[in-house]
Amino acid sequence: MKRIDLEFDLVVIGGGTGGPMAAVKAKEKNPKLRVLLVDKANVKRSGAISMGMDGLNNAVIPGHATPEQYVKEITIANDGIVDQEAVMAYAANSFDMINQLDQWGVKFEKDETGDYAVRKVHHLGSYVLPMPEGHHMKKILYRQLKKARVEVTNRVVVTRVLTGADGEVVAVMGFDCRTADTYVIRTKAAVLCTGAAGRIGLPASGYLMGTYENPTNCGDGHAMAYHAGADLANLECFQINPLIKDYNGPACAYVTGPFGGFTANSKGERFIECDYWSGQMMMEFYNELEGGNGPVFLKLDHLAEETIQEIETILHTNERPSRGRFHENRGNDYRKQMVEMHISEIGFCSGHSASGIHTNAMGETSVPGLYAAGDCASVPHNYMLGAFVYGRLCGENAAAYCAGHGQGVVDAGDVAAEERRILAPLGRTDGLTPYQIEYKTRRLVNDYLQPPKITRKYEIALRRFDEIREDAESMFAANPHELMRAMEAHSILDCAEMAARASMFRTESRWGLYHYFLDHPERDDENWFCHSLLSKSAEGRMQMRKKAIEPYIVPIDEEERSAYQRLRVAHNAEAA
Amino acid sequence: MTIATTQTQVPVNVDNDKCIAEKGCTVCVDVCPLDVLAIDMLTKKAFMKFDECWYCLPCETDCPTGAVSVSIPYLLR
Amino acid sequence: MDIQNCSVAERLGSADAEVRRLAVIDLPYGDEDDIVPLLLPRLADPDASVRTEAVRALEGYEEPEVVSALAPMLLDADADVRAAAGVVLSELKESASAVPLLPFLRGHSAEVRMLALRAVRALRVPEAFAPAMEALSDTDAGVRREAVGVLGYLRMPEAIGALAQVAALDADADVRRIAIGAIGYSSEVSVLPALTRGLADTSWMVRDEAAQTLGKLRLGLAIPDLIRAMHDEYWQVRVKAARALGLLKAVAALPALIEALTHTIGNVRKEAAIALGEIADPRAIPALEAALGDADPDVRKLSRLALTAITLAQK
Repeated sequence: MKRIDLEFDLVVIGGGTGGPMAAVKAKEKNPKLRVLLVDKANVKRSGAISMGMDGLNNAVIPGHATPEQYVKEITIANDGIVDQEAVMAYAANSFDMINQLDQWGVKFEKDETGDYAVRKVHHLGSYVLPMPEGHHMKKILYRQLKKARVEVTNRVVVTRVLTGADGEVVAVMGFDCRTADTYVIRTKAAVLCTGAAGRIGLPASGYLMGTYENPTNCGDGHAMAYHAGADLANLECFQINPLIKDYNGPACAYVTGPFGGFTANSKGERFIECDYWSGQMMMEFYNELEGGNGPVFLKLDHLAEETIQEIETILHTNERPSRGRFHENRGNDYRKQMVEMHISEIGFCSGHSASGIHTNAMGETSVPGLYAAGDCASVPHNYMLGAFVYGRLCGENAAAYCAGHGQGVVDAGDVAAEERRILAPLGRTDGLTPYQIEYKTRRLVNDYLQPPKITRKYEIALRRFDEIREDAESMFAANPHELMRAMEAHSILDCAEMAARASMFRTESRWGLYHYFLDHPERDDENWFCHSLLSKSAEGRMQMRKKAIEPYIVPIDEEERSAYQRLRVAHNAEAA
Repeated sequence: MTIATTQTQVPVNVDNDKCIAEKGCTVCVDVCPLDVLAIDMLTKKAFMKFDECWYCLPCETDCPTGAVSVSIPYLLR
Repeated sequence: MDIQNCSVAERLGSADAEVRRLAVIDLPYGDEDDIVPLLLPRLADPDASVRTEAVRALEGYEEPEVVSALAPMLLDADADVRAAAGVVLSELKESASAVPLLPFLRGHSAEVRMLALRAVRALRVPEAFAPAMEALSDTDAGVRREAVGVLGYLRMPEAIGALAQVAALDADADVRRIAIGAIGYSSEVSVLPALTRGLADTSWMVRDEAAQTLGKLRLGLAIPDLIRAMHDEYWQVRVKAARALGLLKAVAALPALIEALTHTIGNVRKEAAIALGEIADPRAIPALEAALGDADPDVRKLSRLALTAITLAQK
């Protein structure tokens, strides 16, 4: 174990999707910039798209959809709680990014004349662009990192962003998960690209690493941003996803949709009224699952053999290829029976919902020099393409920030304290294992935080989390690998507490199932048409405040809103 | 306090006859996002060291000799 | 000797082919900034598996010397090397890269011609036109498939007649299907016979593609054929036909679309509702009102929208 001191201009934390893009774009903006990309896994196969992705869910392609339509759709799908300028920054840059990726060698589906084979899945404004060979994504990104001469350090877990006298980024710290060498990396700016907080809840199977998200994405970035003094937005808007029961991976109804597949109840009938992937849709899913028409299934058995073969090729080679193996073991055949679905554990993920480290249209957080992109940042419904677009914005804007700033002064006391915190579990020979701490935290998250939310349950959860925090002081790690799990257990506990505090703050219900608060079952626009922000107080505790919604740049008149409601909500008579 | 080790059937299996770790190959170890694979210093073959698999499959897909196979564990099967 | 501590150059020069192959596999992820000069010599490696990996590692490097070195790999003695070269060459983006590929479009084996045609498709160079036209009558279906693709991407009016003929007459269903899609760049009436014939093809996937292409081209003369396609034995074809009829605002299709509102497959009912909204003829109102009670929420939703569209159209 030794200490390694490095100095860079810009450190990008997380080499999954947005991270490589941020690093490459920062170098393109200023080739002299010293850029380091750090990943706790290996950038070759790290992050949410380690095995690629089967398509773009939210392509805004001229001739099919306009950025304005997209912004409207996302605004309505998020019950109005959006920074439209930030959503617009995505929408306006999305097509350029598609072309950039196409140029880099990402294969989007095209028709026989070479036009993108865009597929409409929603009635309002967003489109799916399939990527049948999307499993090459990481290889393509790595090649660009190499061409741009970005330095890459793998297997280093970043644990804290250190700030200077004015609260600005001055360094990041972490450790090697194979040697436990500690790293102190001085830097002018940092980009957090750490993905979702996908290890807060426990999967229904009870298996710790059987999460919907890649388990490396455990909320490290959310915790680091919090401890660095950044604001986190709307954390009560949980992410809950539909998934294949037991396998706990995506069922990909949106991939099968254009082929004619759909989510069905036990009668084999569609039941989802809601038009967009949202908390409202998940509420309908949850109600059907728990009601007399449950469970819920993915229905493909009415499709032609040729179509099913095509679906199998796409679903069993991309994103989560072990899906095919799972179905085989179960004797599930898309041709013969419907596949049972369920809902995921809770998490924070702006990819599908709207919570995360607060960022504006430039990708800036509230900490000078700190940027965030992808699933960990707060721009809603960003999916993979949004991570790329915001990776680019963060990389370019961070490069510009570096040009106007020198290296800050790193406080030796801060470094020593963090080094002690990191190495403490290795210094103990006895105590609780990281596994025990993590399992108990996540079990309690399921027991008390899973919606529907109830104040009394949340109060109990907070008390239990405090107790676990005390216990965590006696956590011990037998080797550097377990040390990684120990540090992750701290992040998970931080995220669990953030989820609880943010939920209790917003005393209304909003976003369907994501924030279904039984003590306050109605939506309350008068008091809660605002963002909620969580940050660290001067006393080092979590504090909450409201933030007004930024003025809309794409106004949504009453008629459009009600048209959407008409579209979305069935009249009782029809539902009967 | 004593720490127990609980027996479990691991999902990642390595065919030692095919594994060429002794020739400098660390592909499966490199690509595992959870860092659960390692090279055994005595046998010079890859093996699953920590039972924390996400069944994401790069170890199997990227293995240059087809030595790695991942099975879905009983819990999920 | 500990292999981990050897330099890349030493590993690439090892007497053991597996060590060389691993060194090639690691190169794109290693510390060397410029890997091309290290990889090019390995294209001549005596071991086929090393050559295969060297070809793969060069993917995405489009410097002229790389493309010139990769193109002849299509003739490699080893099938894996040839296949890898075909994949990597199909990733090329710049039209200048076509030059070293042109000699492989004619002569050689069917496999080589097929891979070379696929590689030049996205480059859209006029030099590929003549070889692709010739290849339309190749004995090998794979070659014909790729030739059709090249011509579809080129979008030259001169190819329409030949593509229409392939769409109608080729012995291979997949070639016919791709040809139907490939003529989707021309809305000239001359493509109509090929497309309507496609609607009656023996393969449902050709019929499906024909209905879709007719919708994309908005060829009104095809309406009677599309209405017939509303009774296709495959519901998938009916969905595409309904889509096309909606885009064409085909009032003549009202009875067929209204009938489709009660089809057993929800996807058909849904698409029929959309089309009836697009056509916006008040005669569809009773059927759409009945569909407001459909078991499928998507059908109910789209019937609501269609009724709104009809009301608006009457104002």
